[in-house]
Amino acid sequence: MKKKRILKLSSQKDSHSISFNAMASPCEVIVQTQNKRLAEQVAQCVSHEVWRIEDKYSRYDSQSICSQINNNAGNKVAIDEETFLLLNFAEQCYQLSDGLFDISSGVLRKVWSFDSLSGECQHFPSASDVNKLLNFVGWNRVSYDQQSINLPQNMELDFGGIGKEYAVDRCILLAKQITNEPILVNLGGDLAVTGPRLNNQAWQVAIEHPDSDVLGQRQDMIVALNQGALATSGDARRYLIKEGIRYGHVLNATTGWPIINAPRSITTVAPQCIQAGILATLALLQGEHAEQFLTEQDITFWARR
Amino acid sequence: MNKLNKTSKKTNKKSNIKAALSLATSALLGTGVLSAGVAQATEADEWQFDSAFLIYSEVDRVSATEAIIAGTKTFANDEILSLKLTIDALTGASANGAVAQPNAQTFTRPSGNGQYVTPAGETPLDDTFHDTRVQLNAQWTQPLADNITGSVGGHFSKEYDYLSLGVNGNLAYDFNKKNTTVSMGLSYFQDTFTPEGGIPKPHSSMLVGDSSSPEWDAEFAKTRIGDSDDKSTADILVGITQVINRRMITAFNYSYSMVDGYLTDPFKVVSVLNNEGLAQDYIYESRPDSRVKQSTFMQAKYNFDDSLLNTVADVSYRYMWDDWGINSHTIDTRFTIPVGATSYIEPHIRFYQQSEADFYQPYIIDDQAPIGFVSADYRIGEMTAITIGAKYGVVLNGGNELSFRLEYYRQTPTNAGFTDPNALNGQDIYPVVEAIIAQVSYSF
Amino acid sequence: MKANKPVFKTLSQPNTSKVHISKVNASKIKLALLTAVTVSLSACSSLGVEPWERDLLAKKEMALTSSPVDAALDDHIYFSKEASSGGKSFGGGGCGCN
Repeated sequence: MKKKRILKLSSQKDSHSISFNAMASPCEVIVQTQNKRLAEQVAQCVSHEVWRIEDKYSRYDSQSICSQINNNAGNKVAIDEETFLLLNFAEQCYQLSDGLFDISSGVLRKVWSFDSLSGECQHFPSASDVNKLLNFVGWNRVSYDQQSINLPQNMELDFGGIGKEYAVDRCILLAKQITNEPILVNLGGDLAVTGPRLNNQAWQVAIEHPDSDVLGQRQDMIVALNQGALATSGDARRYLIKEGIRYGHVLNATTGWPIINAPRSITTVAPQCIQAGILATLALLQGEHAEQFLTEQDITFWARR
Repeated sequence: MNKLNKTSKKTNKKSNIKAALSLATSALLGTGVLSAGVAQATEADEWQFDSAFLIYSEVDRVSATEAIIAGTKTFANDEILSLKLTIDALTGASANGAVAQPNAQTFTRPSGNGQYVTPAGETPLDDTFHDTRVQLNAQWTQPLADNITGSVGGHFSKEYDYLSLGVNGNLAYDFNKKNTTVSMGLSYFQDTFTPEGGIPKPHSSMLVGDSSSPEWDAEFAKTRIGDSDDKSTADILVGITQVINRRMITAFNYSYSMVDGYLTDPFKVVSVLNNEGLAQDYIYESRPDSRVKQSTFMQAKYNFDDSLLNTVADVSYRYMWDDWGINSHTIDTRFTIPVGATSYIEPHIRFYQQSEADFYQPYIIDDQAPIGFVSADYRIGEMTAITIGAKYGVVLNGGNELSFRLEYYRQTPTNAGFTDPNALNGQDIYPVVEAIIAQVSYSF
Repeated sequence: MKANKPVFKTLSQPNTSKVHISKVNASKIKLALLTAVTVSLSACSSLGVEPWERDLLAKKEMALTSSPVDAALDDHIYFSKEASSGGKSFGGGGCGCN
């Protein structure tokens, strides 16, 4: 079941970049050093951490703790401290969003299937289909403590909403232990830096416009990042149309229905990637008030509508 | 489609989600929180001391000095131990209950040893009061379960003629994200009063005459019924505290208090006047041996924003009533106004008004023989009182706080509808009592 | 539920000239006004705060009894000079001053 894991290291003028695949995304690490050995060391460390987190929390991997929890729904499953901390974080997000953000909402995918090629939702589910599944959504019904978690039967957890951003932050932490050289970790668009580049220069990050493929022209937006992290939520390619209304892909965990009038994607800046990711997601969940939500919170963001 | 619209109409949280997320993130990643302020929230394992020295001084009457040192230690698992030592000393004169007369009046001291003379036109004051009191309090508070906090405490107070022992227990339950707290407490005090000169016989006449005569002691003893007496006080207090929003918190309490035993003041007499209003006799007062007090208390605190200098307003109101017929209203208001970054000034106004006890009488007219309970103690008569003052506090370099408080307290006893006989015309039957309260506090 | 993101590209060449992009929230003032209205409307909608909104309530001045020592001294004075006691906390006995 495990894919082949390959690391590619290439060197530029004053930096080395490492690329690999993880969490269904292209990943990239840039170390601003000419020291190849150091770059390799960082590459090893970072890629192993990302793959470790993927193995541990992927719901597609039957060996993962996530699958163990899901497959044993209705029973107690032992968890370690890291899992406990992640669950705690998910709990906070659930509370902060009044239940809109819910790592147990993944089962809703069963009715909201989006075509992998066109991105369109092929059939619009009935209210009763949605309500049936909604019975199996609800983080508040999950009990857990430092040692174990008890997921009610038929419920599923999905760490997809926080796993990748968490991995970015972990990588930054580990990389900082290895070297003081400037490093950027980019896991499929969620990224963070250890600090500014040499000579205090900012990292230049281009955000690809969601419509670029459709229109066939590039409208990249370039962001200068000195410190912290960037994360994006939303997907312009996945949507559904009914009665002329375009619904986004993000589902409201309390109703089981997509959020309408939300921006197609939101990119936010925060000290840590997981914060940026949650803020972007929470904003999307506010629908038409997404920008207002972020403005109120005094958060730097870029929204695409 | 309604389902879809529901979320989009939802009003946004204006709260600081960003700050909450950084806390959550630092917990997840094991990193420090970047913003300071938040990190200071838990300081455990340190003794924190509050100390204060207070002078209470009435014009021409009692003055008291009181010193407090209180230590609080918070243990790692949120257990809190508080210890408090209070020492106070009282000297000066206190009203003995008799009314002013156009003539000089002679009274026997409560001990029976010696007499004092009050000049004509003056309120009789017994100037023999001096006492020193030591009080110890200990309180232990700890979480009992999720959202339940329990607390138990003990009280010991000893003065020359008085011993008080007390215990209390309290349970508090937090819910609604700790925005609501309901609590219930019980306390019980057992007091023993051993006044110098013993317990006077209610309604008996104060013996006045030659205290060096051989019969004096035997005669004096006839006005006594014992050396000491007891009093017990049981209180029930139920309360609810509710956070209204980020700036406001409110509290509401109801308390029920049962006092049983010796509730009379052994040092207080009542003037017995003839029809003209001239004193014929002084009898020892007599109060019921039980009293049930009830009160409701409500408080609101509000933290204004910078347009009002970030002032914290504290307003409370208490209504008390008892089966002696007394009811009272108390309004207490404080405004804590920050001055610069490290100091504050806190004006304080308190207003108090009480009605008199059913058995309160400023004096007795001779031919209306006292049949029941009677007391001329102005403290259970009709009165209003006001306190005006201010406190200034400054946080010193080490984080210790030094503060000064100066207040003026004025009691104005009022006539509850008694028509005075002629001889009392021009006499001040309801003298105003004024006092200055000065206090220095230091927290370290 | 997060979907695939738009792909980010990291531009590592430092010398490429880059446009500095400003924020997209053009109607910021309008939003700020909206915010003010929302805030005042939601003020009375529910009682209580979230744990992270306790910044002001956590201040010592906002404690119901902000100075326990002052309260103890005041209680003693008024207990001995007036017919009422307690209410906020136990009225109690405790001294022969009354």
